[in-house]
Amino acid sequence: MDVTVNGVPAEVAADPDDTLVELLRDGLGLPGTKLACGSGVCGACTVLVDGTPVVSCLTPCAAVRGRTVSTVEGLAGNHPVQRAFVAHDALQCGYCTPGFVVEAAAFVDRWRAAHGDVAPPRELIADAMAGHLCRCGAYQGVYEAIGAACRGEHDRDEAAPARIEAMAKADGSARYATDVRFAGQLEGVIVRSARAHARVRVSHPGGAPFAGLLPQDGIVRYAGQPVAAVAAPTRAAALAEAARVEVTYLPLPPVLDAEDARGPGAPLVYATRAVRRSAPRSSDVLPSPAPWQGNVRGPTRMDWRGRTAARRIAAARERGDERLVSATFTTAVQAHTPMEPHACVARWDERGELHLYVSTQAVGKVAGDAARRWGLKPAQVHVTAEHVGGGFGCKVAFTREIVAAVELARAAGVPVRVVLSRAEELTDGGNRPGTRTELSLLTGARGELTALSVDTYGDGGTSVASSVASHARFVYGRAPRRLRDFDVVTHRPPGMQFRGPGGPPICWALEQAVDEAAHRLGEDPLDVRRRWDGNPKRQALYDWAAALPVWRDRPRTGAQRGRFRRGVGVAATNWVYILDRGTEVELTVERGVVVARTTVQDMGTGIRTVMAHVVRTELGLPADRVRVDIGRSGTVHGPPSIASRTTASVAPAARDAAIRLRAALRAGAGRDSVLPVLDGAAGTRVVGRRRRDRRAYLTPFTFDEFHTTLGRGFSGAVHVTEVEVDCRLGTVAVTRVWAGIAAGHVYAPPLARSQCHGGIVQGIGFALHEQRHTDPSTGVVLTDNLEDYRIPGIGDTPRIEVHFHQDGWDHVNGHGVGLGEIATVGVAASVGNAVHNATGWRPRDLPVRPDRLLAGIGR
Amino acid sequence: MTTPSGADDIAGAVSAVCGAGGELRAGGTDVTARRRVGRATGPFVDLRGVAGLSGIVRRPDGSVRVGAMTTLAEVAGDPGLRRSHPALASAAAALATPQIRAAATIGGNLLQRNRCWYYRNAHFSCHQTGGDTCPARTGLNLYSVVIDRSPCVAPHPSSIATALLAYDAGVTAHGSGTLTVHDLYGDGSDPSRDHLLPGGDVLLAVDLPAPAAADRAAHHRSTGRSRAEWPLVEVVARLGVTGTAITSATVAAGGVARTPVRLAAVETALVGRTATPEVLATAAGHAGAGCTPLAQNGYKVPLLCATVLEVLERALGAPVRPRGSGAPATGDRAADAGPEAYAGFRRDV
Repeated sequence: MDVTVNGVPAEVAADPDDTLVELLRDGLGLPGTKLACGSGVCGACTVLVDGTPVVSCLTPCAAVRGRTVSTVEGLAGNHPVQRAFVAHDALQCGYCTPGFVVEAAAFVDRWRAAHGDVAPPRELIADAMAGHLCRCGAYQGVYEAIGAACRGEHDRDEAAPARIEAMAKADGSARYATDVRFAGQLEGVIVRSARAHARVRVSHPGGAPFAGLLPQDGIVRYAGQPVAAVAAPTRAAALAEAARVEVTYLPLPPVLDAEDARGPGAPLVYATRAVRRSAPRSSDVLPSPAPWQGNVRGPTRMDWRGRTAARRIAAARERGDERLVSATFTTAVQAHTPMEPHACVARWDERGELHLYVSTQAVGKVAGDAARRWGLKPAQVHVTAEHVGGGFGCKVAFTREIVAAVELARAAGVPVRVVLSRAEELTDGGNRPGTRTELSLLTGARGELTALSVDTYGDGGTSVASSVASHARFVYGRAPRRLRDFDVVTHRPPGMQFRGPGGPPICWALEQAVDEAAHRLGEDPLDVRRRWDGNPKRQALYDWAAALPVWRDRPRTGAQRGRFRRGVGVAATNWVYILDRGTEVELTVERGVVVARTTVQDMGTGIRTVMAHVVRTELGLPADRVRVDIGRSGTVHGPPSIASRTTASVAPAARDAAIRLRAALRAGAGRDSVLPVLDGAAGTRVVGRRRRDRRAYLTPFTFDEFHTTLGRGFSGAVHVTEVEVDCRLGTVAVTRVWAGIAAGHVYAPPLARSQCHGGIVQGIGFALHEQRHTDPSTGVVLTDNLEDYRIPGIGDTPRIEVHFHQDGWDHVNGHGVGLGEIATVGVAASVGNAVHNATGWRPRDLPVRPDRLLAGIGR
Repeated sequence: MTTPSGADDIAGAVSAVCGAGGELRAGGTDVTARRRVGRATGPFVDLRGVAGLSGIVRRPDGSVRVGAMTTLAEVAGDPGLRRSHPALASAAAALATPQIRAAATIGGNLLQRNRCWYYRNAHFSCHQTGGDTCPARTGLNLYSVVIDRSPCVAPHPSSIATALLAYDAGVTAHGSGTLTVHDLYGDGSDPSRDHLLPGGDVLLAVDLPAPAAADRAAHHRSTGRSRAEWPLVEVVARLGVTGTAITSATVAAGGVARTPVRLAAVETALVGRTATPEVLATAAGHAGAGCTPLAQNGYKVPLLCATVLEVLERALGAPVRPRGSGAPATGDRAADAGPEAYAGFRRDV
């Protein structure tokens, strides 16, 4: 059929029922257009057909016969909107960006033609971009970028981008694992268990490449668990091949609900000590032994005078003490669902070496795990993750799509690509476990905190180590506290570490309890926190928050009677400071350019930019004389992008490397540019180390493959959130958020702000919208698409102000620590407190859906 | 795939393909989404090439014919429709996303399949897929119907159908001729289908009667997020108003039953009354009459009442207020857009 693509007429052979996105990506080699949800919801695949934006994932090829199609590649990086996205950092991981840019370009052109060079109202931008989802939550930048483009501020070339790879993401040229395609490459698909609990046998009639993925004991423990993988030339053929795989189930009784799992006689998820050890873990806390009773693991304790706390609370309950705040709080299972799904392309070369293109947060770990698993030397495994379309914690483990791709590639003798569908991603791609927390908090006669008790039951499917209550150990002074974590295992998909593991659930409970205590004391919630909290960094943030007009002028709780009620809530949080003390950065002078390398990856956090800034600043070089080459194994050790450790590990090592390079170049001390000596220095190579902090660390030795080290001090955050509650229709609109962040020196302020925006948007999703549902009788995930699994859109995004308090980290090399997690953990709690301020009703269960809100305020 | 190019060859191609278990494809958004999850296997008859199926034609008597292949974006943006049938335009503008509305058609919207998360998941079998059970009824039914008159509990997905019901509109089909909305969907008791148009038939157009001079209409879609979400409850109301008296009322609801439904008890409570806040509130309270919610969706009954009230007020002139557009800082009534406080209510009535 005939179709004109980006101005070029083409005669293409396409099945008219196949979708346009497949034709563009696989048939025409235009991978700028991304396939992310496959159901027309997220807009990542948006292209123009005869000038009108449509979702190419729901456009049959028949619909473009004789038409003109324009993709992000057709904009060629020349549209003002693309420059505006770059200038306003309207992106992080970049996977959704091509779709946003195509839509925004059409909107801006239309708007300017009709209205001239003025910015449209925010509501209209939200309407226009309603068909796009950004899991990183870069919506504030999108509002700013589109407004500025409409005002004509980006009609010409301009200043350096906030994020050095931004234009590659905005023009569609950035390559992700899903985009890798070799000649003769096969598509692999994973065959998954249809049952939640069964002994399984798998057989394959032969023919196509096949790999078994069953666990050692041959038992599947959740519906959707991988059992095998097959490959074929196309995805459709591979799916047909998958249907030929015979999976024989010897059904075993499943337990599909955390309440049922605690009951007597419930089927056991892990029947023996040996298989318990194989249970996946949903947090990155240190493995610690815990007792098991049936399906309940725990408690693991982080008590401080726990018995005293329990005794005081019991006595207060006995006497009916009004200063005892006691409540049960729950949080829903939250899916990571990054816009780029888990993906791996595996290729064995003629020397028997393994090449992996992976969407991962941990290039070094993938390389090490692969070498061990397939008996290779480290130098024989080559991992590439040039751009990573989001992760949030779900792309750390050595996941099944990697194993499947490698095994299939070996069986097939050609490269194999395995990309999870959105349904697979939302089923088995990782989640933050649900929780039920029983919390009691007692204040004394002088308004002091006298006891705290937190029991949390994690609902992480087959996974354990949902560490929630333990986070209450290091806040609000040294009052006695009993903190116990339990896991209730069920035959449902396992949790994985998710941005601040355990943080949002403990804050949801604790920060609302503190708010309630303040309410009962008749005090300003900030004053109570100031009294209880000895941390000077958060004290500074309390002062900042108390001075905000929105806080000073907040409504009196419960005073409003109208339909629309405004509320302001606050939540304070802390987070551990973690680093990878083994981090190194290598600098090499290549053709007059300083090339910086380490084994790190940029999933949208901005480490590529931070490295470039540090090296440039230290060596006094212009932008085009420093290149950052990351997302690749085979160089010096670097950290995985987890637990807010990347910047605090990499930036000081980059600076150390730059200082060494200056010395090696004999360019003299100070900040003079090394440019004059660069051209004659080809081949000069230095390696910088992450030199240690003053006063050393809390953990003198590292204890895992990531060189994980617990540094001294906690990062802090105070979120002040304004909501408007519609008491008639049951909705909560988060209108404005102020985020005060104490994480020390901020290396790249625009990117750090962008991270904070994203943390707030994800926190709003957790507070109001996101909830994974499983069918109660089969355990099948029902929210396996982005219509039923509801992440926030641009219209759900508040106006956000970020305040960085940068003092208090002088002991840290580089004076700054990570902020990816601290930016999100307190958000939902601040929303809860704001809803209480507005309505007098305190939400206990997340998400605060319309049905729950209406029931709550109707009581 | 088959691509007929004129109205004359529709019939033959359609019966051939549908006889083989295939289906028609208009904008393709629903068919393609179902194809991806294994709920549509083809073959497909593509209607895009068929001449004469799209466009909006206004007749001298004020009635309007909307071709079945007219996109929802055209319906939402048509200045004439926005004046004559504003709740239809508003329903079209509020559904899905701009990209979907640019491709999806009014005919396809009326004939799309339901959005039940069991129906759309290949793990399950149900009445809609040839089975004889409803896993939603016994499983998770948070979003299911609250007017329970069929073994299947999936709400009807079409916002357009709800608006057509409120406007007493009909449709014209190639084989079946002229049909009312009720003819198209029946009473919803058949649990295996979402509409009753025979397999070999093609929807040609939507026919909207001329609006009465006194008509005031409004639409609201209740959702959790601000945009791009299937409705929990959706209501369209059309009121005839003379002076301060309500002379006629048609109120239709979506998201609550197997088909869009008229809320007769609400209508009865409005007609002949003076449009006061009390009358509207009382009438809206009748919206729950006949509802028998399932285990998890009881909230839909009060939400239906609230949405009806919202729509009645808007039909009578209350402004549409964007979410979070600034509540009063102190809860004072003057700025609080309650039914008695908003400007324009009394003026319009």
